[in-house]
Amino acid sequence: MWRKFFKIFTLLYIPLLVLSIILGVVQKKEQYLNLEEIEKRGVAYKKNFLSDLCNSLIYSTQYWSNIEYPVGFNTSKNRSRFIGPYINFINGFTDYDQFRFIDVNGREFVRYERKRGGDMVRGMLQDKSDRDYVINGLKLKKGQIYLTSIDLNKENGVYERPYKPVLRGIAPIFDSTDKKIGVVVINFKMTRILSLLKSQISNSNFYLIDDDYNIITSNTTSLDLGYKLKNDSEEVLEKFSLNIEGFANHESSFIEKNSLWTFENFSLENTLSKLGGNLKSQPEVISSSNWIIVHEIYPKLLKKTLGHVYNEFVIFNCFAILTLAIIAFTFVKSREREGQFYVELQEKNNSLEKNKEQLQITNNKIKEINTRLKVRNNQLKEFNYLVCHNLRAPVTSMSIIVDMIKKEDNIDNVRTLLPKLIDVSTSVTVLTEDIREYVTILEQNEVVIESIELNDQIALIKNDFPETLLGDFNVILELEAWNVINFSKFYLKSVIQNLLSNAIKYKKDDVDSHIIFSTKIEDSRKVLYVKDNGRGIDLDRHGENMFKLYKRFHRNTSGKGMGLFLVKSQLEALNAQISVESIVGKGTTFKIKF
Amino acid sequence: MGKENVLIVDDDEIYLYLIQRVLRELSNGVEIYTSTDGEQALDFIRKCDEDKQLAPKVILLDVNMPFLDGWGFLDEFKKLKVNFDDKIFIYLVTSSEMPADKKRALEYEELTGYIVKPISEKKLSGMLTEVFSEMRTQ
Repeated sequence: MWRKFFKIFTLLYIPLLVLSIILGVVQKKEQYLNLEEIEKRGVAYKKNFLSDLCNSLIYSTQYWSNIEYPVGFNTSKNRSRFIGPYINFINGFTDYDQFRFIDVNGREFVRYERKRGGDMVRGMLQDKSDRDYVINGLKLKKGQIYLTSIDLNKENGVYERPYKPVLRGIAPIFDSTDKKIGVVVINFKMTRILSLLKSQISNSNFYLIDDDYNIITSNTTSLDLGYKLKNDSEEVLEKFSLNIEGFANHESSFIEKNSLWTFENFSLENTLSKLGGNLKSQPEVISSSNWIIVHEIYPKLLKKTLGHVYNEFVIFNCFAILTLAIIAFTFVKSREREGQFYVELQEKNNSLEKNKEQLQITNNKIKEINTRLKVRNNQLKEFNYLVCHNLRAPVTSMSIIVDMIKKEDNIDNVRTLLPKLIDVSTSVTVLTEDIREYVTILEQNEVVIESIELNDQIALIKNDFPETLLGDFNVILELEAWNVINFSKFYLKSVIQNLLSNAIKYKKDDVDSHIIFSTKIEDSRKVLYVKDNGRGIDLDRHGENMFKLYKRFHRNTSGKGMGLFLVKSQLEALNAQISVESIVGKGTTFKIKF
Repeated sequence: MGKENVLIVDDDEIYLYLIQRVLRELSNGVEIYTSTDGEQALDFIRKCDEDKQLAPKVILLDVNMPFLDGWGFLDEFKKLKVNFDDKIFIYLVTSSEMPADKKRALEYEELTGYIVKPISEKKLSGMLTEVFSEMRTQ
């Protein structure tokens, strides 16, 4: 049973498992695509946000480049009067950390620094002629702006504490004669901008990295630009860069190290072009900084996000296993019950079949008994008739004779009656003998059934009739179908004797007389035909009396009409039947069915 | 009125002898003819058709006889269509008391009565008196 159960269960479950796996994979893929889409939007949002922030820096820097400075602005002592009105403006820009004018020789001639209190104050002028950003800045033409990479601010060659990420915006400045008088250098404090970038809009990790995949800022690290400090033993080691190959090889989204990575490249040089060409004096931005905005759905979050797919897969399969197990179990049980039912039904059928056969046998026996009873009934009727008719007649005669003798006074007359009385007595004796013979047949007690060879039996009987020996009467045997029969030898002899005797008795004088004994098998029963070419008999007239007692149908022949009666009685005593067909002048055929 | 002839048809010769003696004792004028089977009786009837004087007024007919039994005689008698002056009273005399035989006897219009053997002298006398008195009234 369990083997069948597992077979059916497996047959049902495997397609469902395959289907659920396919559905799970499709769902997982869709989930990934959804996640990718969300992450792409997040990255795009960050990029736009960063772009907006950088644009404000660019325009803020350009603003100072667009001002027409008085001639001698870099050397005049009265420049404070020109710059005075702008101080509040500078103060208002909280992203300004330093604001400087540097002359064409690289020396600062205006310097404002934001103090901790929040205001911009004058600082000590320094010579910055050896700084790269100054060298690059002084090369700028009108309308150009140079943006440095983000770096931690250094003062006097040492990183300023607390670490301050800055980006310098540099633009050339010109006096009213359009003479280049130096550059304006603005140190933008990037802390606010980077904090805004890091602010969570999703649960994923955010990274802003440079071309070398160094982390500029991230919501996973506490320190911006940590890679700058990686050789500083005083700092706690954190993750400073992303060792991910996918940024170079893949599309904007990919899986690596079990994380879903989504990124977009960001170049400061291309920032303005994103805004379109509406601005009249759009500056040309020069920068070597290319950044990558990265979102990472880390493995745990990814697993958590895709978890419901797994959960649904597991729940579906558990439910399927349970349901299919119940179905398979019910089916197997049902089949088992069905099988048992059929076995029981078959047994009952067999039993019924046996009963039917038994009933058939019983019916056949009853039919046989009925037939025998009918035969016996007829035999009893014959016996009754034998007694009633044939005994009553002589008894009546005797009674009349006795009455006559009583009344008769004349002895001579009495003497005439005596021979008649003797005749009556003789006929009673004969009758009694006939009754005894008939009763013997009815009783059948002494009948011995044995195997008889028909040809031998006929040959023996034939010898009792001289006519057959002298050649006056031919006995022909056609016993091909069968020759041996189980029957009473005494009865069979009587039957053959009577039929042969009748054939000889009623033969025609003008032909070569013969009798043919032929055997057949009809309806699985042995049949013996006894056919002669004698006088025949009118069956329409005598047919019903043919086998009755004391019936004689031909004059001038001996016999008391007992032969065929005995033949029929003897055959019927052993369940055989006799019938006759005859044509007057042609002959008679008896058919004996054993 | 014709002669009071009686035909007895029976194969029992003792019965024939005895019944003749009884009839003669009962009526001296009765002419008695006998046949031992139906065929003989039919032959006698045919003969009577030629010689009407022989024609029986009464036939006592046994049923069970060789060659042609009582029923056979009746069937053939019907077919003969003999034309006698007087009605023939045919009595079936048999030892059979079987209902089937009695029922069959009713089918023959030619039959006057059904007498079960043994036929006693008294019964025979009564029957003949009845028959002859009826004849005389015709």
